[in-house]
Amino acid sequence: MSLFGTATTFGAGGTGVFGATTTDSHNPMKDVEVTSPPDDSISCLAFSPPTMAGNFLIGGSWANDVRCWEVQDNGQTVPKAQQMHTGPVLDVCWSDDGSKVFTASCDKTAKMWDLNSNQAMQIAQHDGPIKSIHWIKAPNYSCIMTGSWDKTLKFWDTRSPNPMLSLTMTERCYCADVVYPMAVLATAERGLIVYQLENQPSEFRRIDSPLKHQHRCVAIFKDKQNKPTGFALGSIEGRVAIHYINPPNPAKDNFTFKCHRSNGTNTATPQDIYAVNAISFHPVHGTLATVGSDGRFSFWDKDARTKLKTSEQLDQPITACCFNSNGNIFAYASSYDWSKGHEYYNPQKKNYIFLRNAAEELKPRNKKW
Amino acid sequence: MAEGGDAEWELSKENIQPLKRGRAAAALQQALCQRQDGPGSAVQQQKQAFESELRIYNGEDPLDVWDRYVKWTEQTFPQGGKESNLATLLERAVTLFTEEEKYHNDARYVDLWIKFAEICPEPLEIYRYMQAQRIGGSQASFYIAWSAEYERQGNSRKADNIYQEGFNNFAEPRDKLLQFHKALQARVSRQVMTNMGDEDSDQESNEPERISLVDLKHRGKKKAIVPVNRVRAVLGHNSRGLPSQAAPAQGGSKNSRFMIFDENNGPPAETSAPKLETWAAPPPVRAKENEQKPEKWCDVKMPQRSRFGHKIVAPPVTKPTFQPFVEESDEPPTMTPCKINSAVNTVLSARKPCQEETPLKRLQDHRRLQQPQEMEGGKMQEKRMYCNELLFSGATEFCFEELRAERYRQKMAEETEGRAQTSQSSSEH
Repeated sequence: MSLFGTATTFGAGGTGVFGATTTDSHNPMKDVEVTSPPDDSISCLAFSPPTMAGNFLIGGSWANDVRCWEVQDNGQTVPKAQQMHTGPVLDVCWSDDGSKVFTASCDKTAKMWDLNSNQAMQIAQHDGPIKSIHWIKAPNYSCIMTGSWDKTLKFWDTRSPNPMLSLTMTERCYCADVVYPMAVLATAERGLIVYQLENQPSEFRRIDSPLKHQHRCVAIFKDKQNKPTGFALGSIEGRVAIHYINPPNPAKDNFTFKCHRSNGTNTATPQDIYAVNAISFHPVHGTLATVGSDGRFSFWDKDARTKLKTSEQLDQPITACCFNSNGNIFAYASSYDWSKGHEYYNPQKKNYIFLRNAAEELKPRNKKW
Repeated sequence: MAEGGDAEWELSKENIQPLKRGRAAAALQQALCQRQDGPGSAVQQQKQAFESELRIYNGEDPLDVWDRYVKWTEQTFPQGGKESNLATLLERAVTLFTEEEKYHNDARYVDLWIKFAEICPEPLEIYRYMQAQRIGGSQASFYIAWSAEYERQGNSRKADNIYQEGFNNFAEPRDKLLQFHKALQARVSRQVMTNMGDEDSDQESNEPERISLVDLKHRGKKKAIVPVNRVRAVLGHNSRGLPSQAAPAQGGSKNSRFMIFDENNGPPAETSAPKLETWAAPPPVRAKENEQKPEKWCDVKMPQRSRFGHKIVAPPVTKPTFQPFVEESDEPPTMTPCKINSAVNTVLSARKPCQEETPLKRLQDHRRLQQPQEMEGGKMQEKRMYCNELLFSGATEFCFEELRAERYRQKMAEETEGRAQTSQSSSEH
């Protein structure tokens, strides 16, 4: 498109012209676009568990909806179904058999969406918006864990209107992750609580935050035996901490690294620091992906402590990311994350979910596979 | 219900911090009754509402929200304490508008500064800082508060000077300043009349003195140590305790058969009556302590004396016939044998060289950060590309989603209101 074309039609905001001229920045990595993405910022993404045949992607958004797409082997996406909340959706998760999806919302409720019948019913209630939701599958029980801004963590049997367990925290839940038998919760005021889930959920340990700034995202990683052994914690100030629960040598094993910052080597101009919006671990290689407010995603090898790849900059922040069950697909969502407040919000801006082939790029370099 | 409420307030009287402007009875009643409620109570909701209003407000007068929030906090948390977050709140409010010239002589802003100074460990420094920044220069309340602080520390002359400065700067309202100045003068003259010894107050004003049977001076909740420094100037204008220092001795001799021991008067009594004698010879060696040469004391025996003065010969030490059992390893350790791997020992670490961060220092740092050209150090500069001021406004932090959710909530509320209005108007037609 010519420069004149954009100048004259800019005010109209037509998707055709605008989209065409900005193709390079909205999808600089030339990844596959998911069809009919949500109309507002995408808050969370989740791929179906390995027990399910095929790949299904769930995405929740600030437009109050939860959408389900089927991702076919050729990369094509087919929208399958949609459910609504009465408030923005903040988190989603799958049951282990893939038959149900659980959604947490600002409307203070959590819902269970049965994909077979396409029916959704409320299964949890909090006094504040629910920020995190996770499915816990233990040998002797299974339940839903919800963390809310009302400073409680609740565990729900999906059949009862009352929680089977409610734990109070000192602060609001900002992010959480669960890999049985471990759950980790990061709260406001830089709180970090680790829960153990065997027999019955209970608080295991409170950890002094390895980071100096507000917690934003957390993801548990596993050891060689496929047991959870630590977590990666991301903050609003462009930094991720790798923290082991019981390391042989804490001073050496635990570390933090900088990410999502601009011109790291150029000292003449100030370094721009962006928030780390999400962290996801590769299910096979154990490497991790971080996405940030700067509109980039990066792949890291925490064991070699090296960066594997950083993407080009998108024209919007990346708000969510996830891997599919076998680690071949990396999904990331491009939309506004509110990191600059209300003034920088443009409701007309289109949101995207992209799919990227992750089979090669996330392999640790030094190992021969 | 009212009676029950009265009892409640009677029971927890000691938990109520005095407030200069007084407390609303209703608010007090409510605050004390709600102690039992957990989170999610009306107080929490109200607080949340203020927190979000701070962030969402985009009108002409952002100070208004802060002002209301602070006043509400004072009324709602009568016992003060950490949960009220008043200190954080005041500090944030005061810091936020240091660049806003239009507020510098706003009565509300100056009031916030004074409240902030009052909870600081060194209020005078804050007042001096305010003066240097030209905050409150034309507000009578500023000079009154500053002067009161000097007076509290026993420096009446400085206190008076502050009023003079207030007059020189044409502080408003002038009547109020005059009135307080008169009151100060009256107090000072009364002090002089009651033989308070104003002349020594200047030199001694900074030295803490111990006074028995007087109220302890309130030094703000920042210094929550057991107050051992009982400042003498407490007597100044709040003479509910003993009227003056000199009084106990006189009173004791007059109307009671026993002396009340006053440690403050002890030492001077000795020196007050020196015997003037000429030194004919070097003074006789009196029994001195510490005369002995340092030596091992473990086998020295103190020569014991009987009541009548003659020596008692200590019975010879008989060695026990048995051998006391001594464990092989039981040697007196020269140092603690505990060897902790310093890498693992994260529980106890040496305290970092103490860099006491006073509120004033934070303020100055904040100012420095405002002017980036001074930041040109060797250190790499960083620039936050997110709305830090929104996240950390008020007394609690917010995350991006909370900010956004507040916006959403507000929008929804407006929409439902709008819908209600339109439906109302349509039904009227």
